[in-house]
Amino acid sequence: MRRLWLPGGLVLLVVLVALAAPLLGLPDPIRQDVARRLAGPMPGSPLGRDEFGRDVLSRLVWGARASLTVAFASAAIACVVGTLLGLLGGWFRGLGEFFAVRSMDVLLCFPPVLLALLVVTLLGPGSGTLILVLAALYLPGFVRVTWAEVLSARSHDYVEAVRALGAPTHRILLRTVLPNIAGPVLVQLSLAVASAVVLESGLSFLGLGVVPPEPSWGLMIRGARGTMAQAPLLLLWPCLALSLTILAMNLLCDALRDAADPRTAPAAPPRWVDRLLPGLLPPPRADAVLSMQGLTIEIVTPRGTIRPVEDVSLSVRAGETLAVVGESGSGKSLTALAAMGLLPPAARPVAGAAWFQGRDLLRLEEAEHRRLRGSAIAMVFQDPMSSLNPVHRIGDQVAEAIRAHQPLSARAARARAVDLLRRTGIADPDRRARAFPHELSGGMRQRVMIAMAIANRPALLIADEPTTALDVTVQAQILDLLAGLQRETGMALVFITHNLGVVAEIADRVTVLYAGQVVEEGTVAEVFGAPLHPYTAALLAAVPEGDGMAAGIPGTVPPPQDLPPGCRFAPRCPHAAPACDAPQLLAERAGRAVRCTRADELALAA
Amino acid sequence: MIWAAQRLAVSLLLVWCVASIVFLAIHLVPGDPAELLLSSGGVAPDPAAVAELRERLGLDRPLLDQYVAFLAGLPRGDLGASLVDDYPVLDEILLRLPRTLELIGAGALLAVLIGIPAGTRAALHRGGAFDRFASALAALLLAVPVFVVGTLLVLVFAQMLRWMPAGGYVPLAQDPGRHLLLLSLPALAIGKGLVAVVFRMTRTAVLDMLARDHVRTARAKGLPPGRILRRHVVRNALTPVLTVLALQMGSLLGGTVLVEYVFNWPGLSTPLLRAVEARDYPMVVGIVLVISALFVLLNLVMDLIYALLDPRVRRA
Amino acid sequence: MTALVQAQGLARSFGGGWLHRPPVQALRGVDLTVARGEALGVVGESGSGKSTLGRLLLGLLPPSAGTVRFDGQDVGAASRAEWRRLRQRMQIVFQDPFGSLDPRRRVGPQILDGIAIHGLMPPAERGDRLAALLAQVGLDPAHAVRFPHEFSGGQRQRIGIARALATGPEFLVADEPVSALDVSIQAQVMALLADLRRQLGLALLFISHDLPVVRQLCDRVVVLYLGRVMEEGPAEAVFRAPAHPYTRALLSATPRLDPRRRLPRIPLPGEPPSPANPPSGCVFRTRCPQAAADCAAAVPALQPVGAAHRVACLRAAEAA
Repeated sequence: MRRLWLPGGLVLLVVLVALAAPLLGLPDPIRQDVARRLAGPMPGSPLGRDEFGRDVLSRLVWGARASLTVAFASAAIACVVGTLLGLLGGWFRGLGEFFAVRSMDVLLCFPPVLLALLVVTLLGPGSGTLILVLAALYLPGFVRVTWAEVLSARSHDYVEAVRALGAPTHRILLRTVLPNIAGPVLVQLSLAVASAVVLESGLSFLGLGVVPPEPSWGLMIRGARGTMAQAPLLLLWPCLALSLTILAMNLLCDALRDAADPRTAPAAPPRWVDRLLPGLLPPPRADAVLSMQGLTIEIVTPRGTIRPVEDVSLSVRAGETLAVVGESGSGKSLTALAAMGLLPPAARPVAGAAWFQGRDLLRLEEAEHRRLRGSAIAMVFQDPMSSLNPVHRIGDQVAEAIRAHQPLSARAARARAVDLLRRTGIADPDRRARAFPHELSGGMRQRVMIAMAIANRPALLIADEPTTALDVTVQAQILDLLAGLQRETGMALVFITHNLGVVAEIADRVTVLYAGQVVEEGTVAEVFGAPLHPYTAALLAAVPEGDGMAAGIPGTVPPPQDLPPGCRFAPRCPHAAPACDAPQLLAERAGRAVRCTRADELALAA
Repeated sequence: MIWAAQRLAVSLLLVWCVASIVFLAIHLVPGDPAELLLSSGGVAPDPAAVAELRERLGLDRPLLDQYVAFLAGLPRGDLGASLVDDYPVLDEILLRLPRTLELIGAGALLAVLIGIPAGTRAALHRGGAFDRFASALAALLLAVPVFVVGTLLVLVFAQMLRWMPAGGYVPLAQDPGRHLLLLSLPALAIGKGLVAVVFRMTRTAVLDMLARDHVRTARAKGLPPGRILRRHVVRNALTPVLTVLALQMGSLLGGTVLVEYVFNWPGLSTPLLRAVEARDYPMVVGIVLVISALFVLLNLVMDLIYALLDPRVRRA
Repeated sequence: MTALVQAQGLARSFGGGWLHRPPVQALRGVDLTVARGEALGVVGESGSGKSTLGRLLLGLLPPSAGTVRFDGQDVGAASRAEWRRLRQRMQIVFQDPFGSLDPRRRVGPQILDGIAIHGLMPPAERGDRLAALLAQVGLDPAHAVRFPHEFSGGQRQRIGIARALATGPEFLVADEPVSALDVSIQAQVMALLADLRRQLGLALLFISHDLPVVRQLCDRVVVLYLGRVMEEGPAEAVFRAPAHPYTRALLSATPRLDPRRRLPRIPLPGEPPSPANPPSGCVFRTRCPQAAADCAAAVPALQPVGAAHRVACLRAAEAA
């Protein structure tokens, strides 16, 4: 928002000066005084006189008035007419849409300056002609922006909801659609004004815009060009005024666009500090493929540092499937990305260790980590569509994964890729290898992702919600595939999910996360059969299964910037007691790790 | 293939629409077209001259006849003759157009050679010194209108430093060195906007791509950074960049007028400006029509390139 | 119980036209009844046409063929005024808790939209109604002045429900209302829907891909595949004794917490065919473990296999 002030203020200043031109007591911008031709600065004329002895400052101010009148008038006409056409075209579709939008395509075939010249030939130069031409030029922009926005607004459920309530069309358009497309239309308006100032001055410069002797910046530059050898400063003033005005308008456009589009909000800069020495952590389990201890991740946000993951420990052995379970905000995906060394730039691990093949993944050099990624450790992501590159054939994408770690020829890698696709259950892999991602179904894309992940026989596969985006019957296929591959290769599998049913079906052990912490850990049979932590118990009770109604957990997960000081589940826990106000530690209780002081006395299992 | 044929058909349709509009434009203006073209400053034109012009333009025949004759002439390249000197419009265009295209080509080359690498670099080191400097420079370049840049270049390099002539043109075959010297300033003036636009678009597109899931996949595969940048970032970012470049080049087809005027570059602008001032309607219509058709053609070519770069387009 | 919503031969296709690929047939030949106060579950995977069915029953989408009657009145033939009156009696709750509320308006006015549009109540009384609605869905009435982004997903879904209830509808279409929510929140919202249905005697069309969720709430179930009804019947019967091979496969693919509830997996080969080019005869035959030659010949009609339990399968008798 602060970026709006400076350019906004400058534009406002230019507009105010132009509006106030008659009140400023400046000399007549048109009256010639040949005796003072090209005179330098003098009393009453701080910027001197031009080639006809007219006052330069006065002409600059009045010139702003001419430029801005044309620019604002044309942009306003284009905005009103274009928005209306776009609204109607986008809402009613059909023939009206066809004519409203397609006729704009025709208008867009004319390069802007040419269209202007064509009209000037017909109507002769002048401000009126300019406004007409410029309005016609910017019309398509408004129609298209509005049209596209209306189409996207139409697909929003909240528009459908108002329609379902029986709102008449004009009410929907004015109350629901228009306010939501106002941002892009405003941006378009500012773009049109800025661009109109440029075009107006250009045409005036050619002598085809504003008619002399009326002042305009373009005309002033045209005039000063002739006397550029004697009086170069005369050229400078209008050039400066014009360029500064356009610069301010452009900056305003950029700031407006950023304000209208939250996606471009700047991220916190990365910080490469705090390479803490390994803390006083227990040694890694000897037989574990991955052993993570006390992982803590910090993210620097504009409103302070948050810890979305705190003191997370987990381990998985060869051939074992560990499920990491948690709801949104539990930190389960960040934990996985930390092991991969793929954390977003703003997030960094500040404590803990992740032992893998004798090395701590959290303290690995990037080059070393890269050699592990895709070979010894591989990962499968949730959304297979966006996770594949849309412009490369899937066979090439799999082959690329192989060649990143094995010295194979392109041909050999391709043959291996086809082989891998066949192994992951893709029918007709020779032909499919030449397909692009968008030509495959969701299940097939996830098979491609899995083929890529197992390409270099990883010792550890991390799967982050790999079936969440898929239908149940396809999910079952993918789960069977992963289980089969694991049997074949003996790899360790870390399966991140929110679906407890899936955990029960495929996992050996389970680690339950809540608000960035491990709350319970153990074998699936133990944890699901007799949960020790009240959260685990409540989560299991919330799964709809038998005939009875599932019970929800009251309240919501606390956000990472607003965590309770003690047990993070206490505010939602039916068993909360004063003892829960103190921070809870993960401790051995009844032979399992659980983060609850009251676990023993509650004995939820009973 | 069906898709390409459809696009071709749409392009032809657009050219027909453009031709119809320029033909009809003169009839849409209220009043008698011949009188309109001859009148200046509110003085009623000589009736004899009006009658003569009316006959030369064929305005005395029924509108439909005129339209059919106009359209029939287009495939044969018959765009009529100038009202001023009776020179065939097409010949004039064929003589001048290559010089205009040369300017645009030189500007586009600058944009690709400077804009894409600089944009990529700025995105990779977002917020760094280079990014801030280049982004500010691009904003400045975009703000200064092309004729202002042109005029200032003439002021500095021709008037003050006297390194080169203020403008002019020598055919390449006659004196290649001087041709390139004379080309340099106008190409710079044309290129400054293109470079800035391509820089900004590349920067935005690369930043967008860097945040995509498929780049995360590429990193998860353990690919070397250079390969990720080439195959998964820049390759994907090219599509929007080229689209913007094509759009800009299209609008430059008319926009070179200002630069050519400033540097006395004898491209299309010379006959065009002369014709607009003399209200030489057939010449204006001819030039507008040819350039608009080129514009449509450019868009068609860009769509085909787009389809090559992004396989998803081919289905839509 | 009397029929409140009655659909006959309902079909809807999308796209097509000149120079385009064949149209997508989202829904074909669907007959369906929802009785007053009844909760009907519609189950199917993506591409089954379940969301289209909901929009068609509400009259938000015109059918390509067939009719929808609401309380005896033909929705498609309703005059503009009649259509608007119908809107007060049938409402919808959406899946996406983020997209279903206008981000730029406070939630209070959004909830009251229906009342304002139809002028149901003098403005002075609307505040009380708003407070009552918010309390009814378990939210603090003081929250009415907040914007949607200030609420969590589950709370927004409650707001969406309050908006749908404002005009006092008799029929509510809930289109995957809990699929986007976390398990613990999902159960809260399900409980709320069950409560409201009991209190208000609402008829409910509950669309979901999640069978256990449907089983919790619904009296009756319709199973859709590729735009056609495969099986329909009392929830109890369909879940305990599924008669269609597709229903059985679907149930066996659903992950279970309790190993004792797990059914032997019936793997379905391949992927669902494209709705633009569905198989002839039974649409499920290309993936059906029991398909035979005659399955391709004709579209199987729904045959009774029990009390109010019907199935569209030629082999239903031999497999059961």
